[in-house]
Amino acid sequence: MQLPRTLVSTLIGVLAVSAQQITPDIHWFGLTNGRPELRFQLAPSVQEYRIRHSESPGGALSNASGILSGGVWTGTNAASGPSGFYQVEASPLPSETVLAGALLNRIAYGPTPDELDRIRQIGTSAYIAEQLAPEGIAEELDQPADTGPIWRKVTVTGNGSSSRLYMYLDGPGDAYLDDFRLVAGSVDNGTAANLLPNGGFESPLGTSNWRLTANSANSARTADYVRSGQAAFHLEMIAAGSTGTDSVYLDIVPSLSAAQTYTLSFWYLTSSEDSRLVVRLSGSGVSVTTPLSGGIESPAPFFRNLSSPVMGSGGIGTLRSWHLLHAIQSRRQLAEVVRQFLENHFVTQYSKTSEYLDNIGLPSELAPGEAAKLEFRENLAWRRAFLNPRCTFLDLLRISAESPAMIIYLDTVGSRGDINTATRTNRIANENYARELCELFAFGVDNGYDQGDIVQISRAWTGWTVDYLDTNQVSNPFAVRSTRYINASLTNATERNSLTNLVGQWSFRYRTERHDPRVKWIFYEKGSNGTILTNAPKTVPARFGAPWAGRNYGLRLAYGSGTNNIQDGYAVLAHMADQPFTQEYLSVKLCRLLVHDEFHHGYDFSDDVHTPEEDLVHACMMAWESPRNGGPKGQVREVLRVILESDLFRSSLTASSKVRTPLEFGVATLRAFRSRREDGTFTSVADPANLSDGLMNRAGRMRLFDRAEPDGYPEDGSGWISAGTLAERLRFAQSLSLAGANLVTTPAARSASDSVGSSRIDPAGLVMLKLGSSATSAEAVADYLMGLLYPTEGAGNLATIRKVAIDFLNTSDNGSTASAFSTLLPGSRNYDGRVRGLAALLLSTPRFQEQ
Amino acid sequence: MNMNSPQILSRRSFLGTTTGMAATAALGCLTNVPLFVQKALADGTIGRPGPDGRVKKLLFIFLRGANDGLNNVIPHGDDAYGPLIRDNIQIPVDPAQTWNVRGRALFPTAGATGGTYDYPFSIPLGNGFAGLHPSLKFLAPIYNAGELAMIHRVGYPRQSRSHFDSQNYWETGAPRDPMVKDGILYRAMYESGRTQVNSLTGVSFQSSLPLMLRGSRAAMTNITDPTRYDLLGVPNNVDGNLKMANALAAANSAGFVPKQNRDMLQQQYANMSKTLDIFAGLNFSEAGNTFVDDENTDGRRPYHLFPTTNDKNGGGPGGTGNPNYVVPTSAYGFFNQLKSAALILNKTDAIVAGTQIDGWDTHSNQGGVTGSHANLLRRVGWSLYALRKYFKNHGDQCRWDDLVVVTLSEFGRTTIENSDNGTDHAEASVMYVAGGGVKGFQTNALGAVTRSGIFNCGPSDPVAWQTGMNGTMFQSTGRYLQRATDFRSVMGSLVRDHLGATQEQLNRIIPGYSVAGERLQSGGTQSADGVRITGELPLV
Repeated sequence: MQLPRTLVSTLIGVLAVSAQQITPDIHWFGLTNGRPELRFQLAPSVQEYRIRHSESPGGALSNASGILSGGVWTGTNAASGPSGFYQVEASPLPSETVLAGALLNRIAYGPTPDELDRIRQIGTSAYIAEQLAPEGIAEELDQPADTGPIWRKVTVTGNGSSSRLYMYLDGPGDAYLDDFRLVAGSVDNGTAANLLPNGGFESPLGTSNWRLTANSANSARTADYVRSGQAAFHLEMIAAGSTGTDSVYLDIVPSLSAAQTYTLSFWYLTSSEDSRLVVRLSGSGVSVTTPLSGGIESPAPFFRNLSSPVMGSGGIGTLRSWHLLHAIQSRRQLAEVVRQFLENHFVTQYSKTSEYLDNIGLPSELAPGEAAKLEFRENLAWRRAFLNPRCTFLDLLRISAESPAMIIYLDTVGSRGDINTATRTNRIANENYARELCELFAFGVDNGYDQGDIVQISRAWTGWTVDYLDTNQVSNPFAVRSTRYINASLTNATERNSLTNLVGQWSFRYRTERHDPRVKWIFYEKGSNGTILTNAPKTVPARFGAPWAGRNYGLRLAYGSGTNNIQDGYAVLAHMADQPFTQEYLSVKLCRLLVHDEFHHGYDFSDDVHTPEEDLVHACMMAWESPRNGGPKGQVREVLRVILESDLFRSSLTASSKVRTPLEFGVATLRAFRSRREDGTFTSVADPANLSDGLMNRAGRMRLFDRAEPDGYPEDGSGWISAGTLAERLRFAQSLSLAGANLVTTPAARSASDSVGSSRIDPAGLVMLKLGSSATSAEAVADYLMGLLYPTEGAGNLATIRKVAIDFLNTSDNGSTASAFSTLLPGSRNYDGRVRGLAALLLSTPRFQEQ
Repeated sequence: MNMNSPQILSRRSFLGTTTGMAATAALGCLTNVPLFVQKALADGTIGRPGPDGRVKKLLFIFLRGANDGLNNVIPHGDDAYGPLIRDNIQIPVDPAQTWNVRGRALFPTAGATGGTYDYPFSIPLGNGFAGLHPSLKFLAPIYNAGELAMIHRVGYPRQSRSHFDSQNYWETGAPRDPMVKDGILYRAMYESGRTQVNSLTGVSFQSSLPLMLRGSRAAMTNITDPTRYDLLGVPNNVDGNLKMANALAAANSAGFVPKQNRDMLQQQYANMSKTLDIFAGLNFSEAGNTFVDDENTDGRRPYHLFPTTNDKNGGGPGGTGNPNYVVPTSAYGFFNQLKSAALILNKTDAIVAGTQIDGWDTHSNQGGVTGSHANLLRRVGWSLYALRKYFKNHGDQCRWDDLVVVTLSEFGRTTIENSDNGTDHAEASVMYVAGGGVKGFQTNALGAVTRSGIFNCGPSDPVAWQTGMNGTMFQSTGRYLQRATDFRSVMGSLVRDHLGATQEQLNRIIPGYSVAGERLQSGGTQSADGVRITGELPLV
């Protein structure tokens, strides 16, 4: 029976700006095995789709029952008559929910469970206001914690794989431990019998069965630090342990049963030791590995190290760890995003600096540390600048221009324009910095300048060099090399004056004798043979419209003399910082960072054709040109505010339309599972060095502070995504989910996973923490994790993944046998493994690559 | 909701949405693409086996940062090349060599005691005018075999001096046209229709997919480290990844809201899922890198073709300065990638593959006979030599006669050195084209040179090299080399005459290729900006 059926629909609703219904477009309709089938366009951020049906046009609509999967609906009942009228209704997510997700993904490094809760509480407007004023957010991440060592409890459940218990460190070091308990069952209510004799070390070790080995021979009972009672155990390892012969062990009597579940708990004192503590039964039925730091990674030691005045201390790894821990932990998330943006915009290359310092005589073992410090100081300067409410782009340009890392990176350091006595002509200045200043840092490529301007500007920078200045002269570019000695009594002048015997810091030094003092005609029109038309300064093209079009922006730098010539460079910066070209180029870059990839340069602002993208860029430029607060031009926060308040930023089509860079992917993954437990520890622990050298290096060679090309790392998705880099991202997610898992058995194939260092996530602990008694519901766990990992997508658009996720939780490890998730005891090994598997799965989808 | 506007689905909206649906199909199901959006497979012969059962292929090496062409193929016949313009970075001529005799290129070998690159002079190329940087000495045997073309002064009209714009133009094949956002080799693969059929078509081995291979209608493949190209599965008490694999495939089959980047993500996921097994079947390991030169060029022991360890670099143990090393130790990563590209062309149905060499932006301390630029050139010289030997002696699905190797670089550098003993951004530079079918140097039965294989670096070339301080080296506002050949003419003739595109396909692969005013085919003085150019060269 052929059924001519007519479709009823209205145009697709694009913007889910409120909780109102929208009606997605039906684009295919027919019969499949006699049952009606609809295909419709999914709409962004939809909570729920409903299929509405009527037998006659204009008739009352009622819900039609059927199966819905990713934009395809198949009716439960066979078509009942010659025609039917259908409509798809969709309930969008509340706009506040979409905006919260968008904010945490764009002005932060991804949602954390706690931040998601907090933004729901305070509202998105308050969050924006707070993040735009980071100076008001208390933060002491770089201050060492003053709490000192504290006792932390560890609990772990497993089976009685053996009756021998080991404890050891994975390297030399020591630790304080107390109050060991082992009880039958998966919960220790504190009253069950302790199967470990002398677990509180109140009696001499010899009276119980605690045994020392060669590696642990110096271990002993102690009263120095005690959790309860009169004594604790001081574990001291001269080398790493791994098994019974090199650990401290205890034989439990009577024997444990492999078929029985046990729960082990103990307390340890946190310390700054690098080593990790391992406590486990032989066979690892019950096993736990914990860093002695207590699971609280802090950037403070890295900060201290990088701030040290000692020549060559720190290093690029230290700097990367400091940077990544701030990205993960800082409450000033927007400030961190902005700092990374600036670091990447004003790109410099650590390894080139290091090589340069090495070449000019710094011992090669010290050069890398000094190079890392220059990157570090740049970053401190970005941070300090953005904490100023009226920070301008000119402030940032100056920081970059004066940064020794930049002077070295783009070769200004050796550039000269003085007379070469042999040829009697001015030396040819190096064009590298002048070009990138125009092309990449301020105006944008081919935007208001030409090759002749590059040549002229390059002369302005001659004389800008780098030297090791006395620490009290670092802001004086006319100072000469430090003559303050660490050891002034050295009689050999070479030794006394060697860089390693000087008190100082690598700094910007201006050498007037290298400067090309000639008149510079910058941004003037050229004749046909390239000659500068000094009576024809360039004017801003018509496409910029009011108030910019037609403005004359030629810059003539007069013949200078002596130290006054340093002003050439500053005059160029001040002149370029607020030109419409700079306004346009930076506005487009910020929109690409915060909104989506498809913003372009060269819009015609003067014609009647506008796109929302063009309008937003224009609004940014207006905020730059005439800020609402009446302050100076070019205030960064004013431009950011325009973007964050725009409809485009808040559109549900914009949400999750950008691809995470390797940095954003790694940090967002660790943040997604990072919730604070009551004892102050977190359900996610980052190993920043591993993140940097592992994931970020492999998934596209994102080496922070060491980009070779001056365009910085890309912001667009296709710059990062390929089959090879996706495989690396999935391997990371899978390894991270596996690390720390307490599997019943570990098949050989699994042990081949990548190292994620000491990074750990505890997805099961997280859902238990957040869901309480609902943590046994597969639906609740799947919905919670999807809401966390895909906060703007909407359950209606995640129906397929949701079904896969729930099935996953309700299936045993072989992938086929049903195994109800609700029967798994929260905290048990099977529960832990099942939730970890789901985390790995959800982190591996295309949706988690997005932000 | 509006009940009063019943909407009959039009064909247009069906097309508009059905392609989106196709992209939502299960991983790897590209055959689900409706017939009317498939490319016809009938046009041209790109990717189709010839009578010998083999496919013509192309390997690219992009020299990113702008290679100083003047210190590659050096115009010694021009007396302006010398200390006046390049006091610190010039490559001197060997007073013991005769320059005006036409014939083969010199191949200076070190012998059993000298260092590989001991020869400190420009290598006479036998055309009476040009010399070769001594670090490119391994090009000489390829040149003498008649399998190498060296094309000087390659560029495009109104050359951008931005690395990034200029690289983009080379990669899109559409200079100064920001509307073209996909890559020249992507379009060649898409036009061939093989993206519907082959598991692999275009492959790169580097940190990200280059623009040359990017496009929206089909996914090309980029692998950073083939030895790590597999997935791990999830925490699991059971061997095998069945549970994870099934769940991932099911999750990734979900339809999705169309947003920016999502089609690209879906395509790359699909590409990953269908290529994992292919890579798993090939040996990319260090232990598998056993290919050794069949000649002992420097009298000690033959080099490995892909030097990836000190031992395979010919010199045995020793520091970075070991004079026996054929490539710098910092080049091992690159040679690993080059080996992967060679392997994938030789062992799979991939049609184009390649990688890149970074670091050519020599603004300061460029060096001359030795130094940073020389170290980069050693990579190039040995790459082409090694690829020739690999495909000649180990060719399987691809032999040397089936292959063309091409180097690209976004622009050249200033003729005059700057105050940092370096060179700044300029215009035209050098391209190398090598392969068994390349029409290079040739002599007749009497030994007289009938073809030189050197283009645009001689006084009697069609666009002749003008000597002197107002000559070719100072053409474009004073200190830049102007183009004499458009890179699109080179790429175009390779895509058509080697890979097998029809002229109609080529006109789409390189937009505007046949536009008369561009003169890309015929050459002439009426090119886009009035500069006299050669048009296509007889390369293959």
